[in-house]
Amino acid sequence: MATKMDEQAKLETLKELLFPDDRGAVEDISKRIQLLEIIINDQKKLAARVDPLVDDKLNAFTKSIPDTLGPTITATLKKEIKNHKDEVVDALYPVLGKMVKKYVAQEIKILSEKIDNQLSFITSWKRKFRSWFGGPTEEQLLMRELASATIEQVLLIERDTGILKASYSVTNSIDEEMISGMLTAIKGFVEDAFNKKNQNLELIQYELYNIHLQSFVTHYLAVVISGNYHLKSKNKLQDIIFNFYYNFMAMNLDLVFNYKKGKEKEVRTIEKELLEQELAASFRNAKI
Amino acid sequence: MPQASAMQKSKKVVILGHFGVGKTSLIRRFVNNQFSDQYKVTIGVHINKKVVTLSAEDSISMILWDLEGTDSLEQVRDAYLLGTHGVLFVFDVTRPSTFQQLNSDLRIVSKKIPERPLLVVGNKKDLVSEEELNKLLLDHNISHDYLTSAKTGDNVEDLFLNLATLLNNDA
Repeated sequence: MATKMDEQAKLETLKELLFPDDRGAVEDISKRIQLLEIIINDQKKLAARVDPLVDDKLNAFTKSIPDTLGPTITATLKKEIKNHKDEVVDALYPVLGKMVKKYVAQEIKILSEKIDNQLSFITSWKRKFRSWFGGPTEEQLLMRELASATIEQVLLIERDTGILKASYSVTNSIDEEMISGMLTAIKGFVEDAFNKKNQNLELIQYELYNIHLQSFVTHYLAVVISGNYHLKSKNKLQDIIFNFYYNFMAMNLDLVFNYKKGKEKEVRTIEKELLEQELAASFRNAKI
Repeated sequence: MPQASAMQKSKKVVILGHFGVGKTSLIRRFVNNQFSDQYKVTIGVHINKKVVTLSAEDSISMILWDLEGTDSLEQVRDAYLLGTHGVLFVFDVTRPSTFQQLNSDLRIVSKKIPERPLLVVGNKKDLVSEEELNKLLLDHNISHDYLTSAKTGDNVEDLFLNLATLLNNDA
């Protein structure tokens, strides 16, 4: 046993004498490995080393997207737009509608202010005359003019079928599905009878109520309003409708486009409850 | 996302046919279980609704578009037929003028509303004997799906239940 130990010690001494450089190299490699282990185990140190490299690669990848993925994305978009024209138009309609409406509203406002300045004294005298000749008092008339419109009910209706998709209501009415059908029939009749292409029935008035109908490509919204509904209210209401519809179509498009490649498209519909939450959130506290 | 407890689909059903064949009466019998001998002509369109339960999981909300009767189905406004899910074509078994053109009428319906469930219904069966009825249908080579009586309610429930099942399967 002792002899074996001696031999081992001798062999080690011989190694030291014969390969002094190799021993140094091994120690050096060992130290480097230890350092690397420290860096890998310490996330901050590793990030400091790796992040610049990842950033460079990412920047290069982002710059190359138009060349590498551009044609594929363009082709996919073209195909999707071709296959889902109605959805795309419906999604764009609120955005474009808003732009056009804002421009027109701005121009009308300027014109209206000019006319108001010219006619304000006539309106004031008209009010006075009405109160002098037995009508309501001037204050009552003023209050009536200032009374804002209130949203009583909102129905989101499929345009062709007249089927109700969602509703929001502060008052009780008869069955909303029947109202939706009847409104669609009236709308269809008026639009068909006067044979004006791309013209939509926009307003139904009865006594103290107005029903504003805002048509899109696949759906329309019917908003029942009580109170004084004038151009200013209409503008505000349209803004709310466009915002709601933009969100609604965004949800729709997610469903249309969100399917796995190579697999058959999964037909899904937005849950009625979710839509009704959206409707309530959009219209509940709306001031028009 | 909230989940609906049971699946309820809404379906648009149009009821077509000549004047006075009993379209409105059939709907009244089905929806309200009522019948009136007084004839009131339908102007334009009248909307009704009834929810039909098919199973514990499935029910169909049938939105019934009762269209005014016309001499020719070509006169029916296309706006009323848009997005239709199912059709009932009704004729009066006692008035040959309402079914003499049945095949051409059905061709028009299929052209205007293609690939949708369509049931052909001979109404007012209570006014003729079974023998007379069979002879009449044979003589005029009429193929029908149902013979009903809005007055007695005979076959009315079955008719709409069958249509609801077809609509459910067609979804």
